[in-house]
Amino acid sequence: MNDEATAIRMTSDIILERRRKSRNVRLCVYLALTLLVAWSVQVTIIDDTDWERMGSLANVLEGANRFIGIDFSLFKDLVEPTIETFMIACLGTLLGVIICIPAAWFGAMNITPFKPITYPLARMMMTISRSIHEIVWALFFVAVVGLGALPGIFAIAVRSVGFIAKMSAEAIEDIDPGPVEAIRSVGGNNLQVLIYAILPQILPQVLGVIIFEWEINIRRSAILGLVGAGGLGLVFFRQMNTFNYHGVMTVIIAILGLILLGEAFSHWVRRKII
Amino acid sequence: MEILNVTGLHASYSSSGPEILKGIDFAVEDDDFFAIIGPSGAGKSTLIRCINRLVEPSKGTILFDGREVTRLPRRELRRLRRDIGVIFQEFNLIDRMSVMDNVLSGRLGYIGNFRTLFRAFPRSDIDQGLRLLDRVGLIDHVDKRADELSGGQRQRVGIARALMQNPKMLLLDEPTSALDPKISREIMGLVKQMATELNVPCLCNIHDVQLATEFCNKIIGLQDGYMMFNGPTEEMDEAKLNEIYAMEVL
Ligand SMILES: Nc1ncnc2c1ncn2[C@@H]1O[C@H](COP(=O)(O)OP(=O)(O)O)[C@@H](O)[C@H]1O
Ligand SMILES: [Mg+2]
Repeated sequence: MNDEATAIRMTSDIILERRRKSRNVRLCVYLALTLLVAWSVQVTIIDDTDWERMGSLANVLEGANRFIGIDFSLFKDLVEPTIETFMIACLGTLLGVIICIPAAWFGAMNITPFKPITYPLARMMMTISRSIHEIVWALFFVAVVGLGALPGIFAIAVRSVGFIAKMSAEAIEDIDPGPVEAIRSVGGNNLQVLIYAILPQILPQVLGVIIFEWEINIRRSAILGLVGAGGLGLVFFRQMNTFNYHGVMTVIIAILGLILLGEAFSHWVRRKII
Repeated sequence: MEILNVTGLHASYSSSGPEILKGIDFAVEDDDFFAIIGPSGAGKSTLIRCINRLVEPSKGTILFDGREVTRLPRRELRRLRRDIGVIFQEFNLIDRMSVMDNVLSGRLGYIGNFRTLFRAFPRSDIDQGLRLLDRVGLIDHVDKRADELSGGQRQRVGIARALMQNPKMLLLDEPTSALDPKISREIMGLVKQMATELNVPCLCNIHDVQLATEFCNKIIGLQDGYMMFNGPTEEMDEAKLNEIYAMEVL
């Protein structure tokens, strides 16, 4: 056996040895993961489910089957809530965008008026807005202003601010400072700098974000009715309470239709902008 | 007549940072074409930016057209800036706006917020914009977006925008450094011609000494924030140039 072959043999041995070790590690990881999943299933599904009530597989299928069908009598009662859901999404997004103007201004490092206070303030507002679920926001506003579409609009607006303002502030931080200097140099004031030097640079990006958020807001507003904030969610809740399962299915289809419509529109508009 | 008088000018970008300008004195007459030369990092752009306070000077006085620039409150500062046109190395146009809108933006210092929102410039401004675009050779590109133009054409828009202000002086920060030599000469020629015609004195940063001496009547030589030379172009010679451009010489 020549030296070269020995060298190869030795390397292969080392590699094989290494692989065996890593195989053992891998085995342990798989085992740990399996145990974790089994434990979760045990605690959250097996222990926690009312098996008596579920009964046999036939019962389950029957339970699902109840939902198949459409309640045509509900159609005329759906028109208004569908429009309402749509309007909650639109007005909520619009209100959110309006709140975003100061939020993005304060939250962009390069133009924030008083860095030590306004910047952290804006960033904190953005985080709060995003980390609280829209249902929780809706519950809050229902408690504050009562039932109906208005708390829904507020909830959507406040929930949207975080994302839109964050993306806008980041777009502002990324602008080319050249045009800002140019507008300052001709004697422009802050508003003129905003309109001429900043907005044109961030507009395509920000519009894309707004449309994206609007599309998500249609989904959000469709369920806000569950807590009394108007729209299709309220009808859904009522059908569920009266055990009108075909009605529930009808509402689901209406929601789906509305969301698909929003998605198509959003896709089309964003392709236009970009 | 003297339009600008700078004495004992010091500037730095932060109170703890290094001093960028270390005592600059010069005066611009109303028919001067001043060139500021010096190696990169010498403080040429900083000096230009101090004149209209894009950079705040830390010490010294700047007397422009009878006004003490360093002490003007915000509102008065904006009025002052209307009187000083600036032409930038990177053009600094609004890319997504039309050539005409870019030129009209030179009038922003004269119109209110309401007109700004609707881009409602008076007819006289539009007339003047068209005349200037004709003069700089862009009359066929009025409605094009600024980012559709070539470098030389973009700088022509920059020139028209600055002249739209009816300025009493032009500041130019290496207006041709982003352009190739042939276009550079054309642009400098155009600036010189328009400035002479409209009686506007110029203060122009320029890296290319050859180009500087072709167009200017006076030169300031900067090196590391110090003024190494200030005098008529004829007095500049090889030895002085070497001194300005040799960083090691102390
Ligand atoms: N915005 C800024 N912040 C801090 N330092 C700067 C800034 N701009 C320029 N400087 C520094 O000031 C010095 C002079 O720069 P500048 O005036 O641009 O020189 P020039 O135009 O002659 O090349 C350089 O050392 C540069 O690093
Ligand atoms: Mg420079």
